[in-house]
Amino acid sequence: MSSPSADPPPGAGAAPGAAPARAAPVLEVTGVSKRFDMTQALDDVSLSLHAGEVHALVGENGAGKSTLIKILTGVEQSDEGEVRVEGRTVHLANAQEAQACGVAAIYQEPLVFPDLDVAENIFITHRDQALLVNWPRMYAKAEDLLASLGVRLDVRAPARGLTLASQQAVEIAKAISLEVKVLIMDEPTASLSDHEVRQLFRVARQLRDRGVAVLFITHRLEEVFEIADRITVLRDGEHISTRPAGEVTRDLLIRDMVGREVDQFYGIGGDWRSRTIGRQVCRVRGLGREGVFSGIDFDLHEGEVLGFAGLVGSRRTDVALALFGIQPADRGTVEIDGRTVRITSPRAAQQLGVAYMTEDRRKLGLAMPLSIAANVTLPVLRRYLSRLGLVQRSREEAAAEGFRERLRIKAPSALHVVGKLSGGNQQKVMFGKWLNTRPRIFLLDEPTRGIDVGAKAEVHAMVRELAEEGMAILCISSDLPEVLAMSDRILVMREGRQMGILGGSEATQEAVMSLATGEAGEEDPDAGAGRAAS
Amino acid sequence: MNLPAGREPESESRPAPAPEPAPMQASRTSAAARLTSALGARLRSWEGFLAALLLCIIVMNALTSPSFLSVENQINLFALSIEKVIVVLIMTFVILNAEIDLSVASMMGLSACALGWLVQHGVPMPAALVACLLIGMLGGAFNGFWITVVRLPSLVVTLAMLIGFRGLARVLVEDRSIKAFPEWFEALGQQPLVGPFPLSLILFFALLVLAVIVLRYSGFGRQVYVIGINLEVARYSGIDVARVKMLLFTTSGFLSALAGVLFAARLGTVRGDMGLGFELDIITIVLLGGVSIFGGAGSVYGVILSILIVLYLRNGMSLSNITGHLQTGVIGIILILSAMIPNVRGFLARVARPGLFR
Repeated sequence: MSSPSADPPPGAGAAPGAAPARAAPVLEVTGVSKRFDMTQALDDVSLSLHAGEVHALVGENGAGKSTLIKILTGVEQSDEGEVRVEGRTVHLANAQEAQACGVAAIYQEPLVFPDLDVAENIFITHRDQALLVNWPRMYAKAEDLLASLGVRLDVRAPARGLTLASQQAVEIAKAISLEVKVLIMDEPTASLSDHEVRQLFRVARQLRDRGVAVLFITHRLEEVFEIADRITVLRDGEHISTRPAGEVTRDLLIRDMVGREVDQFYGIGGDWRSRTIGRQVCRVRGLGREGVFSGIDFDLHEGEVLGFAGLVGSRRTDVALALFGIQPADRGTVEIDGRTVRITSPRAAQQLGVAYMTEDRRKLGLAMPLSIAANVTLPVLRRYLSRLGLVQRSREEAAAEGFRERLRIKAPSALHVVGKLSGGNQQKVMFGKWLNTRPRIFLLDEPTRGIDVGAKAEVHAMVRELAEEGMAILCISSDLPEVLAMSDRILVMREGRQMGILGGSEATQEAVMSLATGEAGEEDPDAGAGRAAS
Repeated sequence: MNLPAGREPESESRPAPAPEPAPMQASRTSAAARLTSALGARLRSWEGFLAALLLCIIVMNALTSPSFLSVENQINLFALSIEKVIVVLIMTFVILNAEIDLSVASMMGLSACALGWLVQHGVPMPAALVACLLIGMLGGAFNGFWITVVRLPSLVVTLAMLIGFRGLARVLVEDRSIKAFPEWFEALGQQPLVGPFPLSLILFFALLVLAVIVLRYSGFGRQVYVIGINLEVARYSGIDVARVKMLLFTTSGFLSALAGVLFAARLGTVRGDMGLGFELDIITIVLLGGVSIFGGAGSVYGVILSILIVLYLRNGMSLSNITGHLQTGVIGIILILSAMIPNVRGFLARVARPGLFR
């Protein structure tokens, strides 16, 4: 069904044997279209990747980036159009064929085998080539590969304990070992801390200098400008533009992506911080959980946004889970409205007015096969039951319809299945689900992860609005500009410890990073504790 | 549950590169178009397939044997398997919850044997009946304890209890059969109570209505589904997962014990191997009904159709003088085919779109 068109592509026919002066693209996609049932995922998209370039692919959720990647990696086949590798038309029927053509991809969540060691993971696809594994040679080669990337890892350690960033390094090493020509990086930075992003960029540049074509997908525009040589924008499955990075401004890029102007990227106006912050709602002292985190001290006020910054693995989520009763704390005190409380279950937390919006919509956040209405009422189902314990559908639907309108969830109705919505809209459904519990303390965990620019701005506006209404908000975010723009104060964690709370003019990108990476404050790790109360 | 066959969502991206965004068109489809698409989906669904299969069986049976459609035959064919289909109802809940209860048939045997033993030892009938139902609830709660508190997999726990309950039943009755029930009890199991309907059938239909209401319309049913879909989402939403599971296993024990008592009344005698292997028939009926073994998907309606298919098929073959062993074989083939058909469709789709892994 996906037979390439018979016509030779214009201008590329002579490429393979002729050895032209100007290098032909390593990978070229022409006129690719793909349809899923009702949606045209890709419509006549063309893209070329040259050796030794970092090419950024940007676009909102649903723009067709993922589909294009799936076609390039052989996971899906295009309905029309063709893919050429080094001028040769190829038919990528499956992932193995794509790999054989020198196309590899790494993803936001690396696909490592947790129980195999680092070297085994790197050479996982090679292992069938010999009857016996030459272990010393494998370890030596793995070390060389990682060293060439400037990454230091114990190649004999199991992959299980590695950070996300290290797992990605393993995946990249694996790709290099396969002599990859095109490396697709699909939102590799979404879960990384700033520091780790730097490291990844260094590796990406090294690959570029070795002549690999890197296709880089990200939602963070700063990164696009930092790393890309050329930028391609997709929107609604169509190719909008491809330009050298030097000719593109941020505004131009956003306009290409959303098809309209977005005035304020982070949606936070100047008057935001001048609002009054109310009385204290929550007081946390010495909170800890054996072997996970310890010594967390902070106060939270009505209408305040307290940011939680730190690298991945700094245990920010664990603090939130303790406050929500999923993994109760085993030391320290929590006071809500001046009363000491013990939060031992999510139900108990809810009754105290605490809500926690998870960072993982799919695994922990939403019942994907159910409707928006069923999800929005889930934590407080009791409110929608009749005396006989039956769900009052009309009331449930009315409530969900209210959230659909208020949060501008793009779905035909509140009875629409959540799994069919885009990431940004699913995020909004999660907001609705927890707002429906009428929380006073709202714990947000990466509220803008994996959603596009437009939806991000809406989420930021929503958080601001909730704070203005007097809700106390604790916001975990790995997006440093975001956390700086949204928070009144920022609590920085490192390896399960509180490194300090920064407020007002102290809260700069540099200050947060130095606390988060431990460059400062090492000599006095408790420096932050004294400043806990603002 | 209300899983509407909805349209594709409006995509998140903007409709046109025009400077001012065009208004969202929330619902363009007319009611008529929506109805046809819903109907189409229903016909293509598993329930649609089962209904077609059932219709074929009814037509075939009616043609080969004129007595098939008679009221006595209809009641008789239900009465012959009534113990199983009562347990099918609760098994539907348990499997939807992404758990399994393998101990149901052993519990049926245990409660029947306990009843015989108690009556033989001079316990008055009403007290013995209450004791049997209590044994069922306790046994179910015991399962529930290991599953929810100790967090062992239900497959392991109930497999152990399949052996444990059966062993207890055999200890109570040893290698004999007990026939010590008062006449009224046997009459209750064998003779019509209201009109042509025996007690067991009336109980089954009452439980069926209750099951439909609870699963489709109650908050508890919603929780059962959500836990089956994703236990972590349920936990993070503040649902008391342990309570729901405990309730399900206790009810499963209770209804199994009830089924055992009804079985004893119908046969008028008890033996240690009563109901041996029934759990497999029960689970296959639920799975044939379209309930996912991984939980979270399926409906009571599918299970009702599946009950009818299995009962009618067996009855039709009996009327045509096909032996019991061959009947079991035919039902086995139907089960295999019905399990294959959706997968064959998936396989063909994969062939048509090579490389599509999911």
